[in-house]
Amino acid sequence: MIWNLVNYGSWIVSAALVLWMLRDWYQTDTTHSEAQLTSSREGEIEAMSEKHKI
Amino acid sequence: MAKYTPPEQSKAMQFVDIAFLLIAIFAALWLPLKAGYVGVSKVEEKIDNPTWESLKQTPGQVAQWEKLGYDPAKAYGEIQNRYDYTISWGNLGLMIVVIGGYFVFLFRASDKEYREVIAEKFGDGK
Amino acid sequence: MATAAETSPSTVQKISLLRVLGPAHVWALGVGIVLVGEFTGWNFSADKGGALAALIVCWLVGLLYTSVAMIDSEVTSTVAAAGGQYAQAKHIVGPLMAFNVALYLVFAYTMLEVSDAILAGDLITQVATENGAVGLNHNPFLVLSIVVLAWLNYRGILMTLNINFIITALAYASIVILFFSVQPWSQGVVLKLGEMVTPENALPYGWIGVVAAFQFGIWYYLGIEGTTQAAEEVRSPARSLPYGTMSGMITLLIAAALTWYVAASLLPWQHLGVTFFPLYDAAVATGSPILKFLMFWGTVLSALASANGCINDAGRAWFSLGRDRYLPTWFSAVHPKYRTPYRSILFLMPIALAFAFISDLNQAITFSILSGLLQYTFMSINIIMFRNKWPLGSIRRGYTHPFHPLPAVVLLVLCVVTYFAVFLGFGAQLTAMVIFYIIVSLWFHFYRYQYVRRGDQFTMPWPKPRGY
Repeated sequence: MIWNLVNYGSWIVSAALVLWMLRDWYQTDTTHSEAQLTSSREGEIEAMSEKHKI
Repeated sequence: MAKYTPPEQSKAMQFVDIAFLLIAIFAALWLPLKAGYVGVSKVEEKIDNPTWESLKQTPGQVAQWEKLGYDPAKAYGEIQNRYDYTISWGNLGLMIVVIGGYFVFLFRASDKEYREVIAEKFGDGK
Repeated sequence: MATAAETSPSTVQKISLLRVLGPAHVWALGVGIVLVGEFTGWNFSADKGGALAALIVCWLVGLLYTSVAMIDSEVTSTVAAAGGQYAQAKHIVGPLMAFNVALYLVFAYTMLEVSDAILAGDLITQVATENGAVGLNHNPFLVLSIVVLAWLNYRGILMTLNINFIITALAYASIVILFFSVQPWSQGVVLKLGEMVTPENALPYGWIGVVAAFQFGIWYYLGIEGTTQAAEEVRSPARSLPYGTMSGMITLLIAAALTWYVAASLLPWQHLGVTFFPLYDAAVATGSPILKFLMFWGTVLSALASANGCINDAGRAWFSLGRDRYLPTWFSAVHPKYRTPYRSILFLMPIALAFAFISDLNQAITFSILSGLLQYTFMSINIIMFRNKWPLGSIRRGYTHPFHPLPAVVLLVLCVVTYFAVFLGFGAQLTAMVIFYIIVSLWFHFYRYQYVRRGDQFTMPWPKPRGY
């Protein structure tokens, strides 16, 4: 009996977390510009912080 | 070398590209399953009315089987299904050709693309 | 480099991944992904070649992975970017190779994540059923573990890996406690190695069984190379990555030896070879309820730690594909608050769920192993090309591995042996999988690559490679 409750509980918690992520995703995408969200570039930090001098 | 400017891709085509990859991934998982290739190729060595003796288990091993809750009938499937390592040379040849061909294509095509990258990044001059 | 400034508008505030991790997190990521292999998977090598074969491949595949860790540490401490081996391939071999490597990574980690979820779900269901539950379905547990971990990953890498450190350490401790509580110093009291592994059954298939066992020997260590995915989020990659990866490898070599010794001493090899829970069953065979309880939690925690690391790694690899336009740039978004590749994490979650429903554990494990194997083959050739294009002294390396090219050659030879091992019993799957990679490679080379900027992909501040 208790196990069946755990079973249903798992579904509910999963659904709640999925909804939370979808909501956060929607909010993030509508409050920030696409250019800003995708502004990460590979190797940028190395270029600034680590001077590759021998 | 002139800087290469990629064409803009429409939203719809981006979606098609993702759909293609997803379909390819699911096909790679599904087709072997559908064709019955998935899982282990094992051969059963039949014994009627198995006992621990006919399954060739020593008393020490029997003790462990029993601690795990097994009787000879239940252990039968685990003990008598065995791999068959007879090598099918045709299949082995096919596999070597497929893997070899894949890596040769992979490294040659990559090298072609890589030369373009280096030429654009560093210029053609040495 | 100047390219970065050109390609993004300078007016907006840039959002990048956060550099917050230390060596302990790298260890937690690497060992966390792999440790589940001791709780399930490695034991199928006993099925393919007997208990002694499982031990032999434990050592030989340990050698393979020591080479992997050494090579990877050198290249990654130099090419420190999210995407790990993907960024390495892009700078050293070429774009098509990089695309393939990223798919190996996403495939290997997603299928490993699927295996972990199935494992945790099945074990919880089994134990619950033993304790009187009726009509229990494993699906809710499976979904819960994937969703909770995706949520954790969505919310930030620091907390994700802090938690991974704790649950990995607990799972590791459970192996050590099991080892010491079965009195390993006196064989015959609890452990019965001499009776379980006899001269007659040690190598039931002979030496070809040892070769065949290589396939699942991979599972002792698969995923340790995942440490490199964190490269862009580690405070000091040149120091932390080699340190975390090497200490992780040592941890795993010890765990593998302890695991084999206990499991092979308690379980008949036929059962050892087919059970999904070798350490849990070993605890059952001791008859101790405490050890049983301990190994139940050890198995579940290690599965969760592994799935957690896999979500992290697969998300980073997919994210870097978007960043270079190999896939639509939409995937390269970083969350402004949590600083995670949130769209990639969200996109991969339903895929993992779908696979978890349609595939079984064996199949998921095999797919993961095959993708890993293709990747190690790449790594052995990659390091040789790396040393040729940028010889020692031409660029600053965070770590330089010794005995080059011996580790590369050892790795390549062991990979070839493992292909043959997979062929013995799983050949059709291997061929099907490679055909999949051929099709997507053709698609990428002849179609998708037109959308990729050329010179911009090369982001490292290095001189021109030798020979170009």
